Amino acid sequence: MKPAIFLLFTASAVAVDFDREIRPLLQKHCVECHGEKKQKGELRLDAKSFALKGGHDGPAIVAGKAEASPLFQRLTSTDDNERMPPKGEPLSAAQIAAVRTWIDAGAVWPENAADKAAVVDKRLQHWSVQPVGTGFGTSASIDAFIQASLSAKGLAMSPEADRRTLIRRLSFDLTGLPPTPERVEQFVRDSDPGAYEKLADELLKSPHYGERWARHWLDIAHYADTHGFERDQLRPNAWHYRDYVIESLNADKPYHEFLREQIAGDIIRPEDEQAVIATGFLAAGPWDFVGHVETKSDMLRRAARAGDLDDMVTQVITATMGITINCARCHDHKLDPITQQEYYQLWSVFAGVKRGEREVSAEESKRLADEKARLGKALAQARAQIAKLAGEGLELATLLPKDSGIDLRYGTVTKDKQGYHRDIQTNRLQKLQNVPGVKWVFVPDGKGVVTLDYQVEVKGIPATSGHFWDTIANRPLNAQRSTKLGDTDYSTKGHTILAMHANSGITFDLIKLREQSGLEALRLTGLVGFGASKEAAASRADFTVFVDAELKFQKLKLRKDETAALDLAVPASAKTLTLVATDGGDGIASDLLFIGDLKLVTEAAESRLTDAETVELKKLRAEAQKLESDLKALPEPAKVYAIVSDPQPPVIKLQRRGNPEDEGAEVLPAAFTWAKHAPSALGENATPEGQRRLALANWITHSDNPLTARVIVNRLWHHHFGQGLVTTPSDFGLGGSLPSHPELLDFLARELITHGWSLKHVHKLIVMSKAYRQESGFGFSRNNAAEAATTLDSSNRLLWRQNPRRLDAETLRDTVLAVSGKLNLARGGPGYRDFHYTEAYAPIYDYITPDQPELWRRSIYRFIVRTTPHQFMSTLDCPDPANLTPARVNTTTALQALTLSNNDFMLQQAGHFATRLERETGSHEAAIRRAFALAFQRAPSAAELQAATPLVTEQGLFALCRMLLNANEFIYLD
Amino acid sequence: MNPHSPFPYHQQKRFVSRRDFLWELGGGLGGVALAAMMNEAQAAMNPLAPKAAHHPAKARAVIQIFCPGGLSHVDTWDYKPELAKRQGKPFDPEGKLTFFASKPGNCQQSWWPFRQHGECGRWMSDLFPKLAQRVDDMSFIHSMQSKTALHGPAMFMANSGFILPGFPSMGSWVTYGLGSASQDLPAFVVLPDPRGLPPGGVINWGAGFLPAIHQGTTLQTDVEKPPIADLFPSKNFAHLRGQDEQASRDFLQTLNRAHATERAGNSELEARIAAYELAARLQLSAPEATNLRGESDATKQLYHLDHEDIGTFGRQCLLARRLVERGVRFVQIFCGAENTTAKKIRPNWDSHEDLVRDHGYWGAILDTGASALLADLKSRGLLDSTLVICTSEFGRQPAAQGAGKGRDHNPGAFTAWMAGGGIKGGTAYGSTDDLGFKAAENPAYCYDLHATALHLLGLDHEKLSFYNNGVQRRLTDVHGHVIKDIIS
Repeated sequence: MKPAIFLLFTASAVAVDFDREIRPLLQKHCVECHGEKKQKGELRLDAKSFALKGGHDGPAIVAGKAEASPLFQRLTSTDDNERMPPKGEPLSAAQIAAVRTWIDAGAVWPENAADKAAVVDKRLQHWSVQPVGTGFGTSASIDAFIQASLSAKGLAMSPEADRRTLIRRLSFDLTGLPPTPERVEQFVRDSDPGAYEKLADELLKSPHYGERWARHWLDIAHYADTHGFERDQLRPNAWHYRDYVIESLNADKPYHEFLREQIAGDIIRPEDEQAVIATGFLAAGPWDFVGHVETKSDMLRRAARAGDLDDMVTQVITATMGITINCARCHDHKLDPITQQEYYQLWSVFAGVKRGEREVSAEESKRLADEKARLGKALAQARAQIAKLAGEGLELATLLPKDSGIDLRYGTVTKDKQGYHRDIQTNRLQKLQNVPGVKWVFVPDGKGVVTLDYQVEVKGIPATSGHFWDTIANRPLNAQRSTKLGDTDYSTKGHTILAMHANSGITFDLIKLREQSGLEALRLTGLVGFGASKEAAASRADFTVFVDAELKFQKLKLRKDETAALDLAVPASAKTLTLVATDGGDGIASDLLFIGDLKLVTEAAESRLTDAETVELKKLRAEAQKLESDLKALPEPAKVYAIVSDPQPPVIKLQRRGNPEDEGAEVLPAAFTWAKHAPSALGENATPEGQRRLALANWITHSDNPLTARVIVNRLWHHHFGQGLVTTPSDFGLGGSLPSHPELLDFLARELITHGWSLKHVHKLIVMSKAYRQESGFGFSRNNAAEAATTLDSSNRLLWRQNPRRLDAETLRDTVLAVSGKLNLARGGPGYRDFHYTEAYAPIYDYITPDQPELWRRSIYRFIVRTTPHQFMSTLDCPDPANLTPARVNTTTALQALTLSNNDFMLQQAGHFATRLERETGSHEAAIRRAFALAFQRAPSAAELQAATPLVTEQGLFALCRMLLNANEFIYLD
Repeated sequence: MNPHSPFPYHQQKRFVSRRDFLWELGGGLGGVALAAMMNEAQAAMNPLAPKAAHHPAKARAVIQIFCPGGLSHVDTWDYKPELAKRQGKPFDPEGKLTFFASKPGNCQQSWWPFRQHGECGRWMSDLFPKLAQRVDDMSFIHSMQSKTALHGPAMFMANSGFILPGFPSMGSWVTYGLGSASQDLPAFVVLPDPRGLPPGGVINWGAGFLPAIHQGTTLQTDVEKPPIADLFPSKNFAHLRGQDEQASRDFLQTLNRAHATERAGNSELEARIAAYELAARLQLSAPEATNLRGESDATKQLYHLDHEDIGTFGRQCLLARRLVERGVRFVQIFCGAENTTAKKIRPNWDSHEDLVRDHGYWGAILDTGASALLADLKSRGLLDSTLVICTSEFGRQPAAQGAGKGRDHNPGAFTAWMAGGGIKGGTAYGSTDDLGFKAAENPAYCYDLHATALHLLGLDHEKLSFYNNGVQRRLTDVHGHVIKDIIS
C-alpha cells in the first residue's frame, strides 16, 4: 500500500542533483548502519559500488524503477518495523520524493574520490605488506637513517661509549658471555683503530655466537624437552634440533635456507640428516598425550588435534612472517586481511604432519635393522645348536635382545623402561620383526578372545584390567626390587630372567626354534615368582601356559611370597608356546612377575659327545660369543623428535567458530591472497604432504615476500638494542607497532637479501654502526639537553642513546659460572638434567642443585621441562615454553633478590669464585681487584676498595663474591 | 591507611609509602629530573602498587579452593531425584556415547542421600555435613561446563580461561589489575596440596605472558620447610644466616647506589635496590604469617589441625585466612594433587573406579577445611570482604563408569560455589538436566565465574586486558557475563 501523498510528487518530478540532495541524505540517515563500520543486512550505502551491488537480499536499488527498489520500499513502508531509518521520524515527503525521482531517472551516481577510496581495502595499504624498498644509494647507512630522524627533532646521538663498555656490550650481545679480564685489557690498550672491528669479527666467529642466538630462535619456536600438559613425558631426542639451530647459526647458513629446512628439510634433502633434524622446528611446541593417545573419545582426539594444528601453523607464520593468525580460527581476522578460510588452508598444508620421534636417516636405520636381524638369526641358530649338542636346553629369555624389552604396544624392541599404560587395544597380537623365535606379544584382558594362527583360540585367561606396566624383558623390570626366588638370585651369571609384568602375553615360535635346534620333544622348565619388594602391598597374580591352544599350566592368585615351578612336556608336533601373566583381579600394582631360568630342554637323555662334536661345540660357543658382542656393539638408529608425515593427508574443512564438531566447506592447501609476491595456491587434495610444506616454505622465503626479511632483521635489531624498529617483533600486522625507521628497516632487509641472506652480515652492519656504539646514559649534559631528549623521545625510539639492558635468566646463569671459573663449555649433545625424574602417570620432576661439572654447562643445553618450570630460571623471567616469546619481559621483584642471594646454585658458585680468587691472587687487595675485573670488567674505585676491604677481612672473600654476583652492575649492561 | 581497612593487621603498622621511599633514595638527584622520572619510576619500582579499580569493589580478596580431578556434582551439590528413579537402568541404551575413558554403564544415583538445609532450604548431600550448616552463605552455579574432558587442558581452562598452557591465571590477572595491598607479602599466593602439584603443575598459577611478578608465589605448606623458596640460605649454607648478613647487604647497597648515581635516570636500578629492601622485609613477614603458634586451641580444633588426613588441608585453609588478614589479594588452595597409580586411594577427586572410597576420603577433608574457613572468616568479620570460591575442572557422569563403582569425566556439567565478598548467600544460578548430564538452564563457563569474581573485586572483565602477539588478551577471552543473580 502506498500513501497517497507520493502520487502528488510523481507528476511534478524535477531533475535531482545526486551530490547535492541524495548523497548527504544517505550519509546522514543510512551510513551509520550501512557503512564502513557496520553493514546491516550486508548492505553498504556509503560508496557507489557497494550501494549498487546491494545486500543480503539482492540489489537495493533498481535503476529506473523506484517502486521496485527495496531501498525505496523500506523508506516508505508504513510498518514501523520495516520503515527506514529505524529510529526517529520517517524522511520528509520532499526527501522521499527526491529519492524516487533519482531512482526513476536511472539512479545516476557520479563516482567521486570517496567512492573510489572506499573500494580499496585499507588493510592492503598497510606498510608491512608493501614490497621492500630498493635502490638505496651508496650513502645509505644505519647511521644516516638514525641521524636524519634525530636531526628532525633537533636531537643527536650520544658519544661513543668507552672501550670497556663496548667490549662488555659486544661480548654479551654476540656470545652471551662476559669477556675475560685479559681480553678486556688487551682491547682497551689496543692502539689499532680497527680494534673494534677485529673484536666484532672474532666474536661473530666464536662458536658461542650460535649458542647465544639459538636461544632467541628457540624462544619463538617455544622449544622444550618434554611434551607438556598433564602427562608431561620426556622427549629424549629433541636436542638434535637445538644443536641444529646452534650449528646453522654458527655456519651462517643463509636465512632462507634455514627456514626452508625447518619447514620442509625432510623433503628438500631426505638423505641429509641435518635437513631432517631441522623439521624439529615444527614439533618444538607442546603436545597433549592424553588428548591424542590416551582418551577413548574420538571427539576429544579431534579437539586435541585441532589444538595441535593451530599451534603448528601459528608458530610457523608468526616466527617467519611476524603476523598473528590464530584469531582467524574462529572468524575472519578483525584487523589483518586474513580470512577464516585462509587460516584453515594453512591447516591443509600441515594436515599430514604429526609430532613424533623419527629416525634421522631411513637408510642408516634400515641398514642397522637388517644387520641386527642377520646377527640375531645367526645367534639364535648357534644357540639352538649348542643346546642340542650340549643338552643344556634353550634359555628362552636369551631370545630377547640382552638388556632390552619388547614394547607391548608395538611389538618393537626398546631399551627404555616404561610406566603405566592403560590405553592399548587388548588381545591384539603385536608381531615381532627382528626377534627370531618369538612370534608376538599381547595385552590380555581375559574377557575377549586371543586368536592365534589358523583361528586357534586361547581360552581360560583370567579376567584382567587390561592395563599393563613396562615391557616383556630379558632383564629385571622397571621398579623390580628383587631378583631372588628361593635362594637363587637369577640376576647372577649362569641364570636368566624373563620379566613379565601383568598383564602381558608372549608366544614363542616352536617351529622356528626346532628348525634351528633340531630339538624335537621338549620339556619346559622354570620358576615363576614376584620381583616386588617385601614392603610392597599384598598383591595377587596369575600365570598361565598354553601349548598351541591347550591350557597346559595355570597358577591362579599367586601370592607375593609364593613361587610356582614349571615342568611340562611340549610335544614334537606343537607349533606355539604361549605364556600369560595376569593381574589376579586386584589391579596391576606390584605384579612384578618374572620367570627364572625359563628353558626348553630336550627330553632325550644327555648325549655323550664324540670328539668331533666337542670341537664343534667349542667352535659354536666361540661363534655365539662373537655374535653376541657384535649385536651389542650395534648402535641404536639415531632418532630426533621431529615430524611424522602422512603422505596422504586427510581433507581439511573449515571449522565454524573454531569448533571441530561443526565443519564447513572443504579447503585446499594455500597461503594468504593479500601477499602478491607469489601465487597463494599451494596444492590440491591430491598433492602429497611434503610438497605442500615445500610449497609453503618457498612461498615464505620468496625474495619478494614483503615480511620474511623485514621480520628477521627487526628481530636482530631487537636483541642488539633491547627494542626493535618495530616494537612488536612478532606482529607486523595492523595491531602491531609502526616502524620507527621504515626506510632503515627496508635497507637492512635489502642488505640481508642481497648478501645471500647472511645474518652475520646484518649483525656486522648493526654492531659497527655509531648508533650501536653510543653511550647508554641518559645524556645529561652531553649532546642533548636531558629534558629535551626525555621529553621528545622518552622511550628512545629514535636512538639518541643505546639502551641499557638486564641480562636474561640464561645469560645471568652462564655469567655466574664464567666468573666463578666453573663454566663447562662442552658443546652439543643431550641436555643436562638438573632434576630427579620419577616415572609416574604424570612424570615427576624434582629439581636438584648438585655442585657438579655436568650441570655447569651453558643454559642453552638445559633439559627444559614444560609443566615444571625451573624455579631459579622462571624467577629471573625465563619464559614459559608454552608461549611463543619474541621479546622477553623483564621484572624486578623481591623474589629475584631472594633467589640471587640465597639459592644454592648462587652460593655454591660464590664459593667457587672465592676459591678462584684465593688461587689466583696473593693478598686481599689483589683478590678484590681481581674480583671486580672478573665480575664488572673494571678496577674497583678507591671508595669501593675501601668498602670491600673490611667485608673481606671480617667475613672472607665469600661474602664479597656473593654480593658482587648480586650487584646491579653485574646484572645490567650499559 | 584506610581506617576502615578490612585488614585489621594493617591498622597496627604504618608503612613508609613508596613515594616517600623513592624520595629518600633519590635525595642526591636534581628535583626537576626526579619529578620527570616519577611516573616511570613508580611503575618500574613496583608494578604491584595498588591500582584503582574500575568500579567500587565488594570483595577485597579472594580465596579459591580448587578440587582437581573432577568433583562429582551429582553426589554433592546437585540434587537429581530423577537419577535415583532410574537407578540401574542403562544410561545410553543405544550405545552411542563414549566418555573420556569408557562407555557409559547404568544410571547411578548419588552415593550419599541428599537433604535440605538452612533457611534457604537448598539441597546438599550427606558427604558435607559441616558445609551444609553454612549453606545460607553459599551460592551455587549448577550449570558450569568445560570445553574439554581432559584434566590438563580443563585445569588450564578453569584457571586461565584457555585450554592451552601459556595464558595468565586468574590470580595473576587480579594482581595485574589491582596491584598488591600488602607491602610485605606477595599479592598472589598458592598453597598446593602437600601430596603434590595438581594436573598441569605450576602452570596453573603462572603469569603466562603477563610480567612474571604476577605469577603465584608458592607457599610451602610443609611445616619443616621455609614458607618461600630461597627465603633463607638452605641447610647447606646455614652458617650464612644471622647478623653478618647486614654487613653484606650494606656493602651491596653501597655498590648499587654508587652505580645508580652514575646512571641517573635509570629507574630500573632504583627498583632493584628497593627489591632487596622488600626481600629483607619478606624474611620477617613470611615466617610470621605462616607461624600458627599464636592461633587459639579453639581455632586449631576448628580446622582439625591435628588430624592426619584432614589436618593438612585445614592448615592450608587457616594459612589462607592469615594471608588474607595480612593483605594478600588472592590465595589459591588446592584440595588434591596429580594422579598417580602408586596410591590405593586416588590422590585427587578423579574417582574412576571407586567413588565412595575416593570422594569419601576427599569429602571429609573439603567439608572440614572449607566450613572452618567460612566460619572463621565470618566470626572475624572478614567474610564480607573476602570472596571464597570452590570449583573443579569438570564434573562426573551420572552413569557409572562401565560396570564399576566409579564415574567418568563430565565436561557437560558441574557445580561451583561462591561465598562472601558480595555474594548473595543461599542462592543458585543455572541448572542441569534431569540427570545432571548436561547444563540446561543458563549454561555457564569459567568465563562467567571469572567475570563475576572480577566484578566483585571492582574489575570489568572486558577492560582488564594485556597486549600479546597481536591480540589484546583477556581472562575471559571474548566471552563472559557477570552473573548478577547471585550478587547481593
